[in-house]
Amino acid sequence: MFKQCLAIMKRELFYMWRDKGLRYILLIGPLLGLFLFVGIYSHPRIDHIATAVVDLDQSVASRQVIAELRNTQDLEIACYPDNFEQLEELVKRGQVMVGVVIPENYAKNIALQRQTRVAVVIDGANITYATNAASAVLTVTRTLGAQVGVKTLIARGVQPNQAREAYQSIEFREEAWFNPTLNYAYFLVLALVLNIWQQCCMLASCMNIVGENGVRSWLQIKASGLSAFKLFFSKSIVHIGVFMLLILPVYYLAFVIFKLPLNCGIITFLLFTLIFAISLHSLGTLISSFSSNAVDASRFGMVVALPSFVISGFTWPIAAMPQWFQPVAWVLPQTWFFQGINYFVLKNPGWEMMSRYFLVLGMMAVLCYGLAALFTHCFQARFR
Amino acid sequence: MKQLLNIAYYEVVHIFKDRILFLVVFVVPLIYASLLGLIYASSILQQVPLGIVNLDHSAESRAIISAFENSNDFRVIPSVDTYAGLEQGMKNGTVRAGVVIPEDYSQRLAQHQLTQILTVYDGSNLIYGYNTRRFFQLVLNTFSAEHTAAYLGGLGMSKQEIKSVMDSVSVTTQVWYNPNYSYSTFIFPGLIIIILHQIGLLGIGLTITREKERNTWLQYLCAALPQWKIFMGKALPYFIVNFFNYGLLLWLAARFINVKLEGSLALILLLGLLFNMIITSLGFVISLYAPNSLQVSRYLMLMSIPLFFISGYTWPGTHMPALLYGLGKLMPFTWMAEGLRWVTLKDLGANYLAITIIIMSCMAAVTLFLAVTFTKRRNPAAEGGLVVNSGSTYPKKNLLD
Repeated sequence: MFKQCLAIMKRELFYMWRDKGLRYILLIGPLLGLFLFVGIYSHPRIDHIATAVVDLDQSVASRQVIAELRNTQDLEIACYPDNFEQLEELVKRGQVMVGVVIPENYAKNIALQRQTRVAVVIDGANITYATNAASAVLTVTRTLGAQVGVKTLIARGVQPNQAREAYQSIEFREEAWFNPTLNYAYFLVLALVLNIWQQCCMLASCMNIVGENGVRSWLQIKASGLSAFKLFFSKSIVHIGVFMLLILPVYYLAFVIFKLPLNCGIITFLLFTLIFAISLHSLGTLISSFSSNAVDASRFGMVVALPSFVISGFTWPIAAMPQWFQPVAWVLPQTWFFQGINYFVLKNPGWEMMSRYFLVLGMMAVLCYGLAALFTHCFQARFR
Repeated sequence: MKQLLNIAYYEVVHIFKDRILFLVVFVVPLIYASLLGLIYASSILQQVPLGIVNLDHSAESRAIISAFENSNDFRVIPSVDTYAGLEQGMKNGTVRAGVVIPEDYSQRLAQHQLTQILTVYDGSNLIYGYNTRRFFQLVLNTFSAEHTAAYLGGLGMSKQEIKSVMDSVSVTTQVWYNPNYSYSTFIFPGLIIIILHQIGLLGIGLTITREKERNTWLQYLCAALPQWKIFMGKALPYFIVNFFNYGLLLWLAARFINVKLEGSLALILLLGLLFNMIITSLGFVISLYAPNSLQVSRYLMLMSIPLFFISGYTWPGTHMPALLYGLGKLMPFTWMAEGLRWVTLKDLGANYLAITIIIMSCMAAVTLFLAVTFTKRRNPAAEGGLVVNSGSTYPKKNLLD
C-alpha cells in the first residue's frame, strides 16, 4: 500500500517537473513577485509629496507659512510658481500634488487683524497621495491657525500665557498601531506575493484530476485496479508538499532578508499556510473534476483566483462592501487566508480567534474534496 | 476583402462553438466589472468603528465624545470603553480606531495645564489607516476650534470678537477631481482597463495556438494569403468585441457604479482605439509564438497583478525605483490607465495627452508591424513542448470518446 503511494508520488513529482510551463511558473512566479513588490514598495511611505507655493505676499509672515509646510515630512516644496494659473497647470500635468496660495497683503491683514485666507488645492486623482496630503495639510492648518491666533490675541492685550492656553492647552498625540510607520510594504508586499503564489498553486491544482482522466493512460490506470482515492490522495500530498516547499524560500527572504514583520510564531504561520494550501488545492481539484480539458480548468481556476484578492477585503475592507455581498466574500478560502495573514502578521490576536480560521479552511477542504470525488465518480460512470 | 471576411467569419464560428471562449470574450468582462463594482459600490470609507476610552467622565471629556459621535466618519462602539478592551478590539477588528481621554483631563484643563489626548488607529490596513488619520484631523480641528472659542468666551470676549480672532487666518482646502475621495472613482477605471487588457489578450491569444493544435494553421501558411489578411481576419472579431466591451464597461461604471467619467468623448474613443489595436495585435503575436493554448492561458493570467502594480496607478511611480518605473512605462496598460484617468477624471484636453497618444500610437505601430510580418515558413514542432503528465498535448476528457 505504502509502496504504491510512494510510486505514485514519485511519478507525480516527475510529471510536475516535466511540465516545463508549470515548473517555471511555480519556481519563479512567487520569487519574482517578491522581488518585484519589494522593489515597488522599497520607499514604503508616501512622503515628500511635491508641493507648489504661490507666495503673492513675499513677507516674513508668508515665509513662516512656507516654513510650516517645510516642517512636515509629508510635503516637499518643489517649486514657487508666480501665479495661480501656473499652479493650476502644474497640478493638471501631475507635476505637483499640492498647491498653496498665500494671498497678497497676507502679513498686512494679519497685522491689522483683518481676515485673510490661504487657499490649498490637492490633486485628488490618486487618493493614496491625496489622503496623505490632506492629513499633512490639516496638521499644518491647525498649527498655523494656532500661531496666528496666539499672536492676534496678544496684540489685543490678552496675556501671552492665556493666549497660548486658548490654542495649545490640548495636545493630540496620534499612534498608528500594528504598523507605526504606516509602512506600505509591511501592509501589502507579503499579501501580494502570496496572491501570486496562490494563483500559481491554483494553476497546478487545476491539473490534478483532468491531468489523469483527460489522457489515455487513464484507461491503463483503471485497468490496473488502482483505487482513485489512493491515486489522487498520493498526487495531492505531492502537490501540497510542493506548494509548501515553494513558499519556504519566499518566507525566508520576506521575514529574514527583507525584514517584513511577523508577530506570530513561524510554525503557526506555516501551519496556517499549510491549511490554506490544502483548502486551495481542494478547490483546484474540484475545478479540475468538472472541467472538460486542461485549458478550461486553468481558465476556471484563474476566474476564481484572480479577483479573490480584491474580494478578500485585504485592501478595500469587507465591512465597506454591500451588506448582502459580505457573506459571499467569506465563501472563498482566499478571503479567510488573506484576512488571516493580516491578523497573524501584524496583530496576532491569539489562538481563540484564529482557530476559527483554521477550522473553516479545513471544512472547506473536506467539502471541496468530497464534491470533487463525486464529480469524478459521475464522470467515470459516464464513460464506463 | 472577401477572404478577410471569410477568416473573420471562421473565427466567429470558433468563438461561438467554444463555450468557454465565448464566455471569456463576452461575459467575463461584464461579470468582473459588475463584481468589482459591487465591491467598491460604497466608494467612500465612512463609519470607521471607534472605541473611546473615557477615563475622566467629566463634562469636558464628554464634549470630545460628542465631537466624534457627531462625525459621520466614525461610528462609536459603546462596548469598547476600557484600554484593555480597546487593545483587544483593535486586535480582533471590532474597532479600527480609538481615543483615550486621560483621567485628569478636566482637572488639568481647569488648572491651565497642558493635557494630552491619545488617538490611535489601525495601521494594519492602510486604506483604513490613512483615511482614519485624515478623519481624526478633521474632527480634532473642529474640536480645537470649538475649545478655543469656548476659552475665549470665558475670557469675556464677545462672539464677534471671537470670530474675528479665530478667522484671522482661514485655510480653505479644495480637493480637485475627486473631492469625496471616492475609491471607485480612483480605482475602477484602472480595473476596467486591466480586465480589458487581460481578456483581450486571452481571447486572441488562443487564436493561432488553437489552429496549431488542430493542425489547421498549416492551411493558412500554405494558402495564397498575405500575412496582413490573416491577421486582419483573425483579429477583426476580437477587435470589435473588445471595443464593444470597452464602451460597455465604461458605461456601466458611469451609470451604475457612479464613477466620475467626464472629458472629451473623442479622446476616450481615441485612447480605446489605440489600446485595442495594441492589445489585439500583441495578443496575435503572442499566439503566433506561443507553443500551445495552455501556456498562453497560464502566463497571461499571472501577469495582471504585477502589471497593475508596476504601472504606478495606485502606488505613484515617483516613489518607485527608477528601473521599475521605467519598466512600467514600457507597458501599454500604464499609458492607457493614466491617459484615461487624465481624460475622464481630470477632464484634460488633447494637448495634455499628446505624449500619451504619441507613445500609444508608436506601441500600436510596433505591435501591428510584428503582427503582419510573421514568417509563413512552418517551423518543425518544438521539442519538449507541453508535457502535462507526459502527454504531448494538454489533457482533454473527450479524448476518451
